Amino acid sequence: MLTQPTEKSTGKGIMFNEMYDGDEVRPEYRIVADWLAANGPDALNEKREEAEALFKRIGITFAVYGEGGDPERLIPFDMVPRIFGADEWERIEAGSIQRTRALNAFLTDVYNDREIIKAGIVPAEMVDQNEAYEPVMKGFTPPGGIFSHICGVDLVRTAPDEAFVLEDNCRTPSGISYVLENREVMSRMFPELFRSGRVRPVDHYGDMLAEAMASVAPPMCEDEPTMAIMTPGHFNSAYYEHTFLADLMGVELVEGQDLFVEGDRLYMRTVYGPKRIDVLYRRIDDAFLDPKVFNPESMLGVPGIIDAYKAGGVTIVNAPGSGVADDKAIYTYVPEMVEFYLGEKAILPNVPTWRCGREDELKYVLENLGDLVAKEVHGSGGYGMLIGPKATAQEIEDYRKRIEADPAGFIAQPTLALSTSPVLVEQGLAPRHVDLRPFVISGTETRLIPGGLTRVALKEGSLVVNSSQGGGVKDTWVLNAGGV
Amino acid sequence: MLSRTANGLFWMSRYIERAGNIARLLDAGRRMDSIPNSDQGRASEWESIVIASGCRETFPHDLQSATMEQVAEHLIFDPENPSSIHCCLKAARENARAMRIAITREVWDVLNGAWSEMKRKDMRMVTGGKLAAFLEWVKEQGFLFTGAVEASMLRDCGYSFIQLGQNIERADATARLVDVKFHVLLPSAQDVGGGLDHMQWVQLLRAANSLRAFRWTYRETVTPQAVVHFLVLNAASPRSLMCCYQQIVASLHDIGGQTALQDDARRQAEHLGTQLENATVETIIAHGLHEWLTMMIEQTNALGMQIGDAYGFNGPEPMMQEMQAQ
Repeated sequence: MLTQPTEKSTGKGIMFNEMYDGDEVRPEYRIVADWLAANGPDALNEKREEAEALFKRIGITFAVYGEGGDPERLIPFDMVPRIFGADEWERIEAGSIQRTRALNAFLTDVYNDREIIKAGIVPAEMVDQNEAYEPVMKGFTPPGGIFSHICGVDLVRTAPDEAFVLEDNCRTPSGISYVLENREVMSRMFPELFRSGRVRPVDHYGDMLAEAMASVAPPMCEDEPTMAIMTPGHFNSAYYEHTFLADLMGVELVEGQDLFVEGDRLYMRTVYGPKRIDVLYRRIDDAFLDPKVFNPESMLGVPGIIDAYKAGGVTIVNAPGSGVADDKAIYTYVPEMVEFYLGEKAILPNVPTWRCGREDELKYVLENLGDLVAKEVHGSGGYGMLIGPKATAQEIEDYRKRIEADPAGFIAQPTLALSTSPVLVEQGLAPRHVDLRPFVISGTETRLIPGGLTRVALKEGSLVVNSSQGGGVKDTWVLNAGGV
Repeated sequence: MLSRTANGLFWMSRYIERAGNIARLLDAGRRMDSIPNSDQGRASEWESIVIASGCRETFPHDLQSATMEQVAEHLIFDPENPSSIHCCLKAARENARAMRIAITREVWDVLNGAWSEMKRKDMRMVTGGKLAAFLEWVKEQGFLFTGAVEASMLRDCGYSFIQLGQNIERADATARLVDVKFHVLLPSAQDVGGGLDHMQWVQLLRAANSLRAFRWTYRETVTPQAVVHFLVLNAASPRSLMCCYQQIVASLHDIGGQTALQDDARRQAEHLGTQLENATVETIIAHGLHEWLTMMIEQTNALGMQIGDAYGFNGPEPMMQEMQAQ
């Protein structure tokens, strides 16, 4: 299944700049080029100051783990939108939906009939020995067969018609607040660009999520389901997003201390007494969810919530154990999942990946480490990875020893020539590498808003876009068909 | 509304109100301190301020010889004193941040701004004649908060819990402010009713932002009886206990009671309100002003606890028992 990466995607060819085709501005970006031609880069710099003041007022923040400093710092925002044409988006949309459906089918399968294991496609140990596998979910199918109701599919582009899935985020992907706040700020800054109606709106995300959550109400819920967002609290780095979501949907933002289970139903403590919750979108990790089942030390969770869940008294969004579908070792099987469950070819391919747990692939990785990107199978957030071409000989040597000590714990991928999108710098526009995280919502239907989180590596030449590693964000525009 | 949210709003409001009230007490001390004291009597203004602020236990120096600097340090900046202005503004802002979803941006801006400015201040900014200006600034933050709440908050039970916190804290503070006069010693018994005594009552009114309102209301010279009437019994006086209790009762009515405990809390507030209505300056003074004020302070705090229990602030147990009992 491993295919040789193409010349242009490995960086040996020309890097894809999403704004230009040679010297020509690509049609998607004409809207930006026209604005700049009319107003000049200084006007854009002025707008940037205005936008920064707005973000500060909104208080949208993201704490950077392990870097110290202000825990409430702002995430850098770039003023130039990242733009997709209608055709480009159609493929991303269809591919993301297809992938999410396969991932949910896989999750239901591995906790129940395990057909994909019986068919010899995914090895049993990949599932059973996975840290994210939750035995407590064995034999349980959540309402609608949906485990990952909100799934982030991280994509990179390498050519106009070439996009790869970098990783899946089936647990509690964050970033949607940036998508909507970025748009809010951009539409205040550039009302004239939105008035034409060419940029498809994204502000129905809250309704879409609420509809999906209501559609997976638990069996015991016979009336209008009550929903809530659960946060670990205001010291969490994504707290802003939790408040944002609760506000957006007009539901309570609850903490573990507000909740209790009685008679297999979940309740929140309100000033007028206990009020039932039917669907809980929790933004805390599995390990903290229920001290009776997971980490008994946890003070953040709700004792008994898993029993209530399995009894059909409450729906947990996303389902516990969803993480088994999104680590970097399982990732390599997703194209096969798409074929196995849906009988379709994967629309969005994976980045070719070598699994160090396999002897022949390990050999290749160790011989070519200087040209590859190596990652921990269970890592996330851009931590603990090696970018071969950017690393020193010593760093490569150290990483080689880590791989040799635990080959199954690592994967490696070619260094892709990630596409660039223009960002505003002192001198005007400059290309920087970007990725994209669309947020796929699954309930009775699987859908997504036209847009997503574009992360951008603000340092020249850098490939790491994670906000935890100093990356920034951009507004992401999807144009209407016929709009270019 | 979540009990935790109600709790956060209630305390956010209490803390910002307390910051202003500590500033008022310090202002009273500053004003008393500036009255020329011809006699050689022991200056007890700063001691009385510490006692009235309820910070006697945490004050790290000898109380009887307390100086303005020591008291200012403890009541303004001391991070170990939970009632210091520093800690109050911090706690108000922390509660606001945790309840960010339940307040408007205008309210958040006030509390966030107050704390970020407070963080940058130190003793140098309150000494050398700068204390009065600093205290003005603190009181201003309270007025900004009240204004932002009034002008931007939805009139729902969140608003009522904010009002409740403010008025309970204010009732407590006004009682303490009037009580300052009890702790400030006069040089001798003959001075009661004399010029110094009179000056002290005037400064007390000033500290309560009430001297002008007092003159408009009574059009007479400042007497202890009239001051007590104005700050305790006169419902037209916005910081009087009477005014506070009327609003406490109104807030509890707005929030409404759905359990026996909640009805009890409202009835207790009404009972204390009636007690104030039936009191006269003469009966209070006959009872002993200090003793009467102490009783009001205790009852007000007990009411705060009772409200917390009734609306689930202080843990889930009472609510669950109630639910099962119904």
